[in-house]
Amino acid sequence: MPTPRENFAPRIQVFAPHKASLPPLGPYLREFWRRRAFAIELSRFADKAEYLDSKLGKVWLVMNPLLLAMVYFLLVTVIRGSASKTSGLSTLAHILIELFTFYFASNCINGGALSITAGGRLILNQAFPRALLPLSSTISAFWQFLPTIPVYIFVVIIGKVFFPHTEIPGLGFNYLWAPFIILCVGMTGFGLALIFATMNVYFRDTNKLLSYMTRIWLYSSPVLWRPEILHGWQKIFLYVNPLGPTLSATSSVWISGKSPTLYELLGCLFWAIFAILIGGYFFVSRERDFAVRI
Amino acid sequence: MRSASKAELEMPEELAIRIEDLSIKYKINVDTKRTLKNAVMRASKGEKVRMRVVEAVKHLTLDVPHGSVLGIVGANGAGKSTLMRAIAGILPPTEGRITVNGKISTLLALGVGFNPALSGRDNIILGGLASGMTRNEIEEKTEEIADFAALPDGFIDMPVRTYSSGMYGRVAFSVAVNMTPDILLLDEALSAGDASFKEKSFNRMRELCAEARTIVIVSHALQTVNDLCDTAIWMNKGTMLAKGKPEAIVDQYLKFLDVGALPSAFEDM
Ligand SMILES: Nc1ncnc2c1ncn2[C@@H]1O[C@H](COP(=O)(O)OP(=O)(O)OP(=O)(O)O)[C@@H](O)[C@H]1O
Ligand SMILES: [Mg+2]
Repeated sequence: MPTPRENFAPRIQVFAPHKASLPPLGPYLREFWRRRAFAIELSRFADKAEYLDSKLGKVWLVMNPLLLAMVYFLLVTVIRGSASKTSGLSTLAHILIELFTFYFASNCINGGALSITAGGRLILNQAFPRALLPLSSTISAFWQFLPTIPVYIFVVIIGKVFFPHTEIPGLGFNYLWAPFIILCVGMTGFGLALIFATMNVYFRDTNKLLSYMTRIWLYSSPVLWRPEILHGWQKIFLYVNPLGPTLSATSSVWISGKSPTLYELLGCLFWAIFAILIGGYFFVSRERDFAVRI
Repeated sequence: MRSASKAELEMPEELAIRIEDLSIKYKINVDTKRTLKNAVMRASKGEKVRMRVVEAVKHLTLDVPHGSVLGIVGANGAGKSTLMRAIAGILPPTEGRITVNGKISTLLALGVGFNPALSGRDNIILGGLASGMTRNEIEEKTEEIADFAALPDGFIDMPVRTYSSGMYGRVAFSVAVNMTPDILLLDEALSAGDASFKEKSFNRMRELCAEARTIVIVSHALQTVNDLCDTAIWMNKGTMLAKGKPEAIVDQYLKFLDVGALPSAFEDM
C-alpha cells in the first residue's frame, strides 16, 4: 500500500445532516471568494455563447432599453401635455438614465432567479457555493448595463447642442457618486436575485410572478416620474422601495447635478446590505437542498 | 465546502473517505407540478402535499483508504449515483456522516453540462473552474487536457454540439483526470470512449493510484471493475450487500442477477 504523497495537503471535509440551517459561514465565504473567477468566466462564456454569430445581438441589448425609453418619453409628454423645450430634454434624460438603472437591477433579478434551475447538471454534478450562479447573472447584467452609459452621455450631448438652456448638468464632481450608486444597485439586485432564485427552485412559476412584479415595480419607482414630486410623508413611498433610494440618488446625480442627500445615501446602503443579508440567509440556508429538488 | 471542527478531524490518516451509517432520502412530490399557483390552490382547499420518500442509501458504513480503487456495482436504482453525489458533497446526508480527506474531482452520470455552443477548449476552462481550479491553474493545463482528450482534426476548437458522445466523454474525462485530484469519483464515465482511449484512461488511473490517489468507480461494465479495482462493493436497494475482492463481488452480483457470467456483461459497454 503506497503512503500518501509528501505534498499531500490534507483537506478534510465533513458532510453531515444540516440541522443548523446555515453552514459555517467562514469556510463558505472563503470558498465563494476563492471561486469568484468561475462566476466571472461563466458570465463571459454565457455572453460569448449567446452572441457567437450575431454581433447585432449586442447592439440590440442597448437599442432595446433606448427605444423603450423613447416610447415612455412620448407617453409621459403626451399625458402631461406639451412640455417646454428645456424641460423636455431633461424629462427624456431622466427616463433614460433611470430606465437603464432599473433594467440593470431587474436583469440581475430575472437572470439570477433562473440561474439555479437552469444550472441543472452543474448543480447535480459539481459541489461549489451555489450563490456563484446568481453572482454570475449579476455580472452579466452589469456588462449589459455598462454600454448604456455612453449611450446616455451621447444623447445628452446631442441634446445640449440643440437645447443649450437645459437644466442637465455638465461635468462636475457629482458624477463621482455614480459608481457607488451603481454598486448599490448591483448589490440590491444580487440580494433580491438570491431570494427569487431560491423561490424558483420550490415554485417553478416564480419567474412569471416576477415579470408582473417587475412591471408594477417600474411604475411605482421614480423612473417615469421625478422623485421631487413626493413631499413630506409621501417620501416613505420612496424608501420602502428597495430601488427607491438608488433611483432617487441617480436622479440627483445625473439630472439635478447634485450629490445625493444623506437620506438617499443611507437608503442606498441600507437596501444593498439588507438585501444581501436576507437574500444570503434565505439562499445559503437552503442551497444544500437544491441538488435534491432540481 | 465545509471544513471540519476539531472533534471531526479525528480520522485515521490512511483513510481517504470514511462513511458512517449514511442514509439518504429523497422526498418526491408525487402530485402536480411544483408551482406557486398549485400551492395556493392546494392551501385554499386545505389539501396537503403528498410526498413519497425514497430511501436511496440505507445505513451504509464504509472506509476507503488512500491509494485504493473502489468499484461499486449494483442494479439500476440501487443508489450508486446517490452515494457518489454524497461523497462529492453535492447531496447532504439525511443521517450519518461522510468524512473526506483530499481534493475531490468528479465525473458523474449525465455529464458536466458543457455549454454546447462553446468550443471544447472553452468548456475545458469552464469545467476546470467549476471543479475549483484557479484561473492560472486551468490556463496552464488547458493544453495538456486538450492533448489528453486527443480529438481528431481540430475538433477541440469546434462547438461541443458538433461532438459525438465519445468525443464529449473524452473531454469530460480529461478534465476530471487532469486536475490531479486526491480523490476521483467516476460514475459511468468510461462508457463512451473507444478502445484506445479506454487504454489511455486506464493507464492514467493506474498512475493516479500509484501516487496514492484514490478512485471510486461506478460501472455496469463489470470487466472494468475487475481490471481496475482492488476492492468492490455490491449495492442493492440502498444497502451494501457485500464487500471484497472484485472478482468475488462481480461473481456474486451476476449470480444474483441470474444471468450467469454472460459475455455481454463483461463487454465494456
Ligand atoms: N433527483 C431524484 N429525486 C428523487 N429520487 C431520486 C432522484 N435521484 C435518484 N432517485 C431515486 O433514488 C434511487 C437511487 O437512484 P440512483 O440514481 O442513485 O441509482 P443508481 O444506482 O445510480 O442507478 P443506475 O445504475 O441506473 O445509474 C432510485 O430509486 C431513484 O428513483
Ligand atoms: Mg447512476
